[in-house]
Amino acid sequence: MRIRAIKRLRSALGTLLLIGMAIFWLIPLIWSVLIALRPENEPIVTGNIFFGSRLTLENFQNVARVTNWGEHFYATLRFVFGVLVVQIVTITLAAYAFARMRFFGKQLLFGAILIQLMIPAAVLIVPNFATIRTLGLYDTIWALMLPYMGSAFGTFLMRQAFKQVPLELEDAARIDGCGWFGVLWHVYLPPSIPSLVAFGLVSVTTRWNEFLWPMIVTQSSENRPLTVGLSRVLRTSEVGALYGQITAGVLVVIFPLMLLFLFFQRQFINSFVRSGLK
Amino acid sequence: MSNLESFLDYQAARRLSTGAYTRLWQRSLPYLLVLPTFAFVFLFTLLPTANALIQSLYQPGNARIPTRYVGLQNYLDLFNPNTLIGADFARIAGNTLIYIFTTVPISMAIGFGLALLLNRKMRALGLFRFAFFYPVLIPMIGAGSIFAFLFADQIGLLNTILRSFGLPGIKWIGDPNWALIAIIMVSIWKQTGFCMIMYLAGLQGLSNDVYEAADLDGATTWQKTRYITLPLLQGTTLFILTTSIAASFQLVDHLFALGEGQPNERSNLLLYFIFQKYNEPRNLGYVSAITVIILAALLIFTVLNFWLWERQTYYEN
Repeated sequence: MRIRAIKRLRSALGTLLLIGMAIFWLIPLIWSVLIALRPENEPIVTGNIFFGSRLTLENFQNVARVTNWGEHFYATLRFVFGVLVVQIVTITLAAYAFARMRFFGKQLLFGAILIQLMIPAAVLIVPNFATIRTLGLYDTIWALMLPYMGSAFGTFLMRQAFKQVPLELEDAARIDGCGWFGVLWHVYLPPSIPSLVAFGLVSVTTRWNEFLWPMIVTQSSENRPLTVGLSRVLRTSEVGALYGQITAGVLVVIFPLMLLFLFFQRQFINSFVRSGLK
Repeated sequence: MSNLESFLDYQAARRLSTGAYTRLWQRSLPYLLVLPTFAFVFLFTLLPTANALIQSLYQPGNARIPTRYVGLQNYLDLFNPNTLIGADFARIAGNTLIYIFTTVPISMAIGFGLALLLNRKMRALGLFRFAFFYPVLIPMIGAGSIFAFLFADQIGLLNTILRSFGLPGIKWIGDPNWALIAIIMVSIWKQTGFCMIMYLAGLQGLSNDVYEAADLDGATTWQKTRYITLPLLQGTTLFILTTSIAASFQLVDHLFALGEGQPNERSNLLLYFIFQKYNEPRNLGYVSAITVIILAALLIFTVLNFWLWERQTYYEN
């Protein structure tokens, strides 16, 4: 009896601790929403501590004037999905070769590609900037996308998935007259879709949030993604530190991903786990 | 006869030629498949790495002085606290080490604790997962912007709370003693969710048998966590540790919203320092040397990871 009571008490304490921590972690999001909906020139101490004197969208209207969000949104979409489409093609082809073909120098080539796992593109911004300049691609959407088009991580993930497919299936397809592409398309890809989805979600999230590289290689707002647009809000409002506008800007940038996450929570989390567990 | 022979010869020749063609195609196919990935990796990972290495050995010239080879002088300058760049570098490299070796263990510890608490039958699991995981999905520049407001001097939430307890407010971003701590707090908030879901996945992979046996022996929860769970999750821990360390080097975007390394470089980090100087030709040698130093650090951590991994699997067998 007593042991059960203690167990219950401890479980309740655990839940309480969890709730406390969750509130703590949610405060930045909740606070941003509240500040974004608060009248701009109303200090936090006036009116209701949560809502001010009234709820308003004027911060969103004002932040819309700071920069061209439509262009940034379009740039982000082109950047994120342009990279994703190219990545899917490149990693699938390479992974197939590494998983099921024998050729001279295979280990060496695979090793050379895996070096990318160790060296994140972010660290190489200076030499990569020089490359982009040399190629004459400064301030183009290509400058944004090129460094991410080949992915060691994706190649590795898809190679693992392809290796799970029984060889007999490939043999059967060959006998039925499938060429290499037919085999890849009909035999290897269908069971590997979950890996591809996992890779896709992680890729989309990371590209969506990219900041330093787009900041460096673009200049005109039509090529600058949402994150760089947000940095403009930060700089223009610095004088008065218009936090209502800043948080409104943040919400605009994170809204699409947050919405996706709300609906596909399990897929998102599974993708991140899968991308970690090799 | 001769007709038939020539016909057979023709067939053989044809077979040979298609055979040769097919063989050539089959031989080159794997290379063609790998080529796009390899080309991109070569152009934007391998080549720039070599580029940084070479540039780090040169002193960039200007209109009057040509670029010249200086050997390891750039590195010597960086590690000499008496030079202008050396003083900055010592401070910023120190900050980066503090940043990584506080952010990573703290977010791992909290993540592990949360995973333990969440790994029970409970209601509203989705809500809790959202609460801890959403920071992983938002851009670091966005996180920085939100916290800029939480840290604000007069109207910030943190200072409002401090003052309501009668404590003096802290300037956070403007205060040389607190700026780096503020930067670290944002990263912990951001990273913990990742550690949590990785540990949660690890916990869900453990079998119940060991715990039932331990229960029969009357083990306490603490003992079970310390002597069963933690050792069994060693692989997970090692994995999170190395990925988080590598990620921390890159996790610098929030500095843009939080004081840009000021006051006096007290909260600056290596990658952000590179970002600040990328367009200053006269510093190209130094910036390249710092790039190489970060790459070397990443290499050391990776090798260490492999070594630990080998040792661990060795013991497991």
